[in-house]
Amino acid sequence: MPAITYREAIRHALAEELTRDENVVILGEEVAQFNGAYKVTEGLLEKFGPKRIVDTPISEAGFIGMGVGASMLGIRPVMELMFWSFYSVAFDQILNNAANVRYMSGGQINCPIVIRGPANGGTNVGATHSHTPENILAHHPGVKVVVPSTAYDAKGLLKSAIRDNDPVFFLENTILYGEKGEVPTEEYLIPLGLADVKRTGTDLTIVSYGRAVIQSLAAAQLLQQEHNISVEVVDLRSIRPLDIDTVLASVRKTHRVLIVEEQRPFCSVGTQLAYMIQREAFDELDGPICRLGTVDAPAIYSPPVEAEQLPNPQRIIQAARTALA
Amino acid sequence: MELSHRTITQIGHYRDMDLTGTAPDTLLKLYFQMLRLRRTEEALHQEYHPADEMRCPIHFCIGQEAIPAALSLHVRPDDFIFSHHRSHGYYFAKGSPLRELFAEIYGKATGASGGKAGSQDISHSDTNFYSGAILAGAVSIAVGAAFGFKHKRTKQVSISGFGEGCTDEGAFWEAMNYAGKQKLPVLFVCENNRYATFSDQLKRQADDNVSARVRPFGVRATQIFGNDTVLAHRTIGAEIERLRNGDGPALIEAYTYRWNSHVGPEDDSANAYRQPGEMEFWKANCPIVLLGEKLRAAGLLTDALSARYEAEVAAEVAANFKFAKESPFPTDTHWRQMNYADASPLADRLLGVATRGAGFDQYQDEAKLGPY
Repeated sequence: MPAITYREAIRHALAEELTRDENVVILGEEVAQFNGAYKVTEGLLEKFGPKRIVDTPISEAGFIGMGVGASMLGIRPVMELMFWSFYSVAFDQILNNAANVRYMSGGQINCPIVIRGPANGGTNVGATHSHTPENILAHHPGVKVVVPSTAYDAKGLLKSAIRDNDPVFFLENTILYGEKGEVPTEEYLIPLGLADVKRTGTDLTIVSYGRAVIQSLAAAQLLQQEHNISVEVVDLRSIRPLDIDTVLASVRKTHRVLIVEEQRPFCSVGTQLAYMIQREAFDELDGPICRLGTVDAPAIYSPPVEAEQLPNPQRIIQAARTALA
Repeated sequence: MELSHRTITQIGHYRDMDLTGTAPDTLLKLYFQMLRLRRTEEALHQEYHPADEMRCPIHFCIGQEAIPAALSLHVRPDDFIFSHHRSHGYYFAKGSPLRELFAEIYGKATGASGGKAGSQDISHSDTNFYSGAILAGAVSIAVGAAFGFKHKRTKQVSISGFGEGCTDEGAFWEAMNYAGKQKLPVLFVCENNRYATFSDQLKRQADDNVSARVRPFGVRATQIFGNDTVLAHRTIGAEIERLRNGDGPALIEAYTYRWNSHVGPEDDSANAYRQPGEMEFWKANCPIVLLGEKLRAAGLLTDALSARYEAEVAAEVAANFKFAKESPFPTDTHWRQMNYADASPLADRLLGVATRGAGFDQYQDEAKLGPY
C-alpha cells in the first residue's frame, strides 16, 4: 500500500466523492483559488471547477447557514472551517439549525452537511484558535462527530461522512496533516461509529481519539520497553455514535482504564465515556477509571508551557502508572 | 470622489498632503512614531526565522503605520482600543510598552499578557489595550465599552480597529446597527487594505467601499487616503472631539496596503493574488516616505535628526529583544490558576468599585468554594 499524508488522504476522499456524486460541493474560505489555508483542497478547483469548489467570504454564520439550506434540498456540501475554533461564530447554524432540523420537522427534512477542518492545540496559536469542541458538538442529538487519527481512517471516514444523511462534524488536526500512513489505492469506506484497536495489550486499556492516539501509542511503546507494561490502545475514531462495545471488550481483557483526550476534563468526552464504562463493566474494573486530558485552562500560547498543557507521552506514562498503581 | 482600490493606483505619486495647521512638533512626532513602528516590525520580521523562538502567528503591519501613528497622538490614557489580530500598530497607538510586546511574542511571563496570548490576542490592561477576538467579535466588544462610557457619563472614547475583511461578518453589521441607534462614543477605524488573506474585497463583496454601507445605520463615515498621516491625524482628531461631545459614532475608512503576507514573515507572492503594479504604487507612497519628503522640504527633518531617530529606535529594539529573551517562561502558578476572578485580583481594577454589593466578599468566603 502506498503511504500518503493525512492531508492527501482527506483530499483523495474529497476528490473521489466529488467524482462519484455531482451534488457534492466544497465551500469555505480560500478553499478554491488558493487551495485552503492548510492546502487540503489543493488542485480540486482545477479538476472540478468553480461551481463545485467555492470560495466564501469570511462569514461562517452566513456560509454554514447556506450549506444547511442547500443540504436540505439534496446538495451535499462539505464546508471547510479554517479552524474549528471559528465554529462558535456559526454556533446557531450548526447546533440550533443543522442538529435540530429533522426532529423539528417531524422527520421530514434531512441535513446531509459535512463540516470539516482542524481542531487542535499544540501549534502556539493561543486560546481563540485552539478549541477542541468535539464534546460540545456531540452533546447534541442528531449529529455525528468524527475525529480521525491516521491517514487511513481520515479517508475512509470522510467518504462515509459525505454519504451520510445526517450532519457530520469532522475534526482534523494541523499537526497530523503531514503524517504519512498506508492507504489502499482501491476504494474503501469506514462506517461511522466503529472504534479501532490500534495496539493490543493486556495490562491497561487506553481509550483515546485524534492526535492523542498517536501520543498514546508512543507512550505504550515506552511503557512496554521501560516498564514491561502491556497497553491496549482503543481509538474511538467516532465520538458520536460511540462504539462502546469495542471499549468494553478491551476493559474485560485488561480490567484497567486510562482515557487520554485532548480535552479539558470538565464535561469532556472522557466524562461520558467513564460513565458508560462503569455502568456497563463495573465488576470488571480493578481500579478507578483514570483520565488524562488538557490542563484545565484556556490554551496558553507560551510554547514550552503549551506542550505541558496537552497530553504528551511523558504525561501519559505517568498517568498510566497511576492507573495501574 | 469616492475612493476605491480599483482606481486608487491612478493617483500615481500622492501629492495632496497638507501640513497647514499641524504644529511642527506634532508632525515630527507622527514621523517618529511611524519610524518606530516600522523598524520594530522589520526587526521582528527579520528575527522570526530562522531563530524560530517566536512561535505565535504574527500579522505584520508594515506599510500601515499612518493610522496607528495618527491615533497615538489623540487617544487619552483612559480611552480604550480594541484591535483585531493585526495588533501591533494599535498596541503602539495606545502607548503600551514595547518591551512587553516583545516578551509576549516570545511567550514569556513578563509579556503584556503573561505569555498566554502571543501576538494576535495580546492585551495590556494598564494602558487599556485589548485584542483577541475573531474579527467582528472585537468590534462588538468595542461598542460594548462605548455603551459603558455613555452609561457612566464619562468622556472616554472606544476605538475599534479592524480591516475590511471584518465587514464580511454579520456581527460587524449588528455592531453598526446598535452603535448608530444608541449614538455611542465609538470610533470605528477600518484600514481597508483590500485583501483578506488572499481574497480581494471585490471577490467577497459587491463593492470595495465600507463607508457608504455603514451610513444608513447612522454611522458617520469618512474615506481617506490612508497613507497620508497628516490627513489621518486631522480626521481622527476631529472625529474623536465630536465623540467626546456626544456626537457619535463615526467610522474612518483608510485606504492602505499591507506589504507582507497575511500572516508570518513568509513571502506569499507565489499566490499571485495582488494586482500588477499595486505593490509598487503603495511602496512609492509609503506613509513614512510621503511625510518624510514633506518634512524635509519644510526644513523640519534633517539628516542629523533622521539619524538620531534611527539610533534611538535601534537602541530601543535591541533592548526589547534583550529583555524578552532574558525573561523567564510562565510557571505553573502563572497559568493554571487564572480561570476565576478570585485568582485574578488585577482584573478588578477594570470593574471599578461597589459592583458586587455589600456582603458579597463575606458570602464568598463563607461559601468555601471547592475546586471548580
